[in-house]
Amino acid sequence: MRRHVRALIMIAVMLAAALLVLGVQQISLGDFERGGTDTILGLSLGLDLQGGSHLVYQAALTDPVTGEPIPVSSDQMQALKKIIERRVNSSGLGEPIIQLLGEDRILIQLPGVGDPGRAKEFIGETARLEFKHRMFNVPRDLTEITGAEIVSVTAGFLPHETEDESPEPAVAPEGSGEAVLEGAEAAEGTETAAAPELSEAEGESTAVAAAPQMQPDGPPLLIVEFTDDGAGKFAEVLDRLNESLGMLTSSGGLIPPSHLDVSIDGAESLRFQVNALSMQRIAESTRFAISLPPDNVFSTAPNAAAAQTLLGDSPEIFFVEIQGKVDEDIGLTGDDLSNAYAGQHSASGAPIVNLEFNSEGTRTFGELTEVIVAKTQRTGERDQIAIFLDDEELIAPVVETVITAGSAFIQGRDFTVQRVSDLALLLESGRLPVPIELIQERTVDAILGADSLSKSAVAGIIGVALVLLFMILYYRASGIVASLALLIYGMLLLAIFKILPVTLTLSGVAAAILSIGMAVDANILIFERMKEELRAGRTLLSAVNIGFNRAWPAIRDSNVSTLITCAILYYFSSRLGTTAVQGFAFTLAVGVLLSMFSAITLSRTFLRVLAATKLGRRLGLFVPIGGADLPQLKQSPRAPALERS
Amino acid sequence: MDFVSKRHLFFLLSLAVLLPGVVFLIYAPGLKPGIDFTGGSTISLEFADPIEQSDLRFGLADLGQADATVQRLSGASFFIRTRELDEVSKQALVDGLKSTLSPNGVQVLSFDLISPVVARETVYYAVWMVLAAAVLIFFFIWWAFRNLPSPFRYGAAAIIALIHDTGIVIGIFAILGVVMDMEVNNMFLFALLTIIGYSVNDTIVVFDRIRENVLMYPNRTLATNVNVSISESLGRSMNTSLTLLITVMALFLFGGSTIRPFLLVLIIGIVAGTYSSIAIASQIVVAWEYRDIPRLYRRLRPARSLGAE
Repeated sequence: MRRHVRALIMIAVMLAAALLVLGVQQISLGDFERGGTDTILGLSLGLDLQGGSHLVYQAALTDPVTGEPIPVSSDQMQALKKIIERRVNSSGLGEPIIQLLGEDRILIQLPGVGDPGRAKEFIGETARLEFKHRMFNVPRDLTEITGAEIVSVTAGFLPHETEDESPEPAVAPEGSGEAVLEGAEAAEGTETAAAPELSEAEGESTAVAAAPQMQPDGPPLLIVEFTDDGAGKFAEVLDRLNESLGMLTSSGGLIPPSHLDVSIDGAESLRFQVNALSMQRIAESTRFAISLPPDNVFSTAPNAAAAQTLLGDSPEIFFVEIQGKVDEDIGLTGDDLSNAYAGQHSASGAPIVNLEFNSEGTRTFGELTEVIVAKTQRTGERDQIAIFLDDEELIAPVVETVITAGSAFIQGRDFTVQRVSDLALLLESGRLPVPIELIQERTVDAILGADSLSKSAVAGIIGVALVLLFMILYYRASGIVASLALLIYGMLLLAIFKILPVTLTLSGVAAAILSIGMAVDANILIFERMKEELRAGRTLLSAVNIGFNRAWPAIRDSNVSTLITCAILYYFSSRLGTTAVQGFAFTLAVGVLLSMFSAITLSRTFLRVLAATKLGRRLGLFVPIGGADLPQLKQSPRAPALERS
Repeated sequence: MDFVSKRHLFFLLSLAVLLPGVVFLIYAPGLKPGIDFTGGSTISLEFADPIEQSDLRFGLADLGQADATVQRLSGASFFIRTRELDEVSKQALVDGLKSTLSPNGVQVLSFDLISPVVARETVYYAVWMVLAAAVLIFFFIWWAFRNLPSPFRYGAAAIIALIHDTGIVIGIFAILGVVMDMEVNNMFLFALLTIIGYSVNDTIVVFDRIRENVLMYPNRTLATNVNVSISESLGRSMNTSLTLLITVMALFLFGGSTIRPFLLVLIIGIVAGTYSSIAIASQIVVAWEYRDIPRLYRRLRPARSLGAE
């Protein structure tokens, strides 16, 4: 009996653990995270049950000369995966699962995507690598909006309380480095420093819009009225300037915003620089308000009229747009690169990315570095080589020396081994872009998925309930034991699904139900054997023990054969990339293993415990309907149970 | 009950069930392969406006998809099979149907695309999967019954029973393919593999009884031992298939329509598997022992030589 108590406690602990696992929606113990907030019991659901897209792409690399298909290397596949991850992540399409299948395929699972068309559009794009000459603060004459396009220039004042605080964010590129090509990386601190400055300034510009007109005692501003044509052109300039402000934030403050160089030539002359935040179109008019920097000649004027006097009758105004950065196309692309790989700096051991160009690329790249270095020596400006993949900037290193040998390396202060290898992979994928072809898609609408899930769940519950009913009606007390064991089995199975985790798909649900069938079968095998032993005149306890021993080889061998089938299914489907079959096989295997365990522990323990109670002497309860003609009952229904020797 | 003496009856019955399937498989178009095996696209659409199947057919023909097949799922939901559709042509199809048939909207419930490359591989792997499973199970049974005389026969008999069960399922689907336009897809494939697992599972339970009885009563004839074993395990066989059928039937009736063909395979397969364990696998072991086939051959040969004279 002590042994039974121990076994019962063990079962209770397992059940409690299973219920705990299922009861807590989201489990997170350090790195171990399971479950989610939005699914039944926190189980992970496959795309066919929660909706989403399952996409399989095949690399279709062809020889550029012959057009023959050529095999892809595993590095290329890794690079492809990286590229797709980048694209999918930057598009905010939820949390995709991207994995390589076999040698030349890639599987992308996008859960719950409403519009798979958009996702497919950018996943299927072929990678494009470009090197561009990045220059900062490049002036651009705006001769088209001077003279004839300007109707009038007048002085104005802002309300006093919104004091001008020089909104011009003076953030210069921070390029510095000791190496050949240095990664001008976004320092994280700079971004946070730049952002508040922007939001403060924005509030100010609203004030300009609210009360742009003459109010004494405020900081002065200029009101420039254009012709219709001129106003349109100036608005375009303003748009460009505004856009560049966004870049300031996205580049982490490394790219200076474009600004406008304004010269006024009137009774007094003034030259100053303003950015987009200090300019505002007045309502829908052709007039623009331009804030003046503090402490200029006009700020001494006590009122608008005085300022106007300083401006003179017909002041002339000139604009020069200073572009924050210009990425000049120099015709250097991935085609000119012959190799890109991660390595270590020979002297310092720091992780670097090596670049090697072909002859054409060597020439173009050499010329570019010559131009850049010459400019640095002349003006102190440190131009960069901006490297773009799919129009998105990968990195923009500065140039340290003229490089004419065709091989260069990029290093950066914050470079890690991981980062350089990622970078090398991305460069490599742009060098030899691997076109991909969609070869398989399965998209299921979330509503259909939810419908399948609820229907399967209802059907499963009905099915299991009917089976339990049958077991209880047919096997009576044993059936109740089996039902209890099966319910616990179900809980354990779900808990295991959640912990491993097993992604439940429609086919997985079918497999789970099949494995419940297998678990029932194990119980039936045992009960039928028990029935025979009881008929042979044994006590319940010995019938249980012998019944189990006799039934065990059949349970073991039949389940092993099922496991063999599962293993084969799993092996082949993993090569084929059919996750549905794989999920089915895996779920079935887990279910079968657990059913063997539950047959030997749960049912057997419960029956043994029952055998030790008074109920255990009422043998009629333990045999199926119509099987009550037991010899023991005929002799003496209350005969003391003989313990097995 | 005497099962063993009726073994030739069982064999004939199985042949009678298998034969129409084989005929349909060979002479009719037989199994209709779905896009999983041929490549192509399927799309399930739910229309906001009530439309008829014929409207949809015409609508598809207008959009250049005259060879598309249409099945009604329920109400205004339809399942359409077409040639391989890329994203652009899929969108064109949906938009086209929306403008001509259902201005109030069309919902894409599911979309599948299988390229011919994948389809070919699926067929290739399917064949290998079935063969590999059969071979491994054969060796496993041979090994598991190594204590019996001629354990090889048990493995072979189990495999023949397995072929019998899959044959019945495939045959019935070949008939359904002709009668109801039912297609077979990946779901069918792994339902078949499930049946292979179940068939062997069930056979092993009966064989286990035979193993026990043969070892316990080595002096009885094999026919007696097999017969006793079948009788003894009959209750279990019936109840196991019954409980499995209950769950599968529940899924079939109340579950989603997507896995219904899968469940149909299971239902047919469970019945066939239970039957074949008793009436085929065990009987083959007996027939092998009593050299039924050479006897049949000897009986037929004089008849033929008579006919030649």
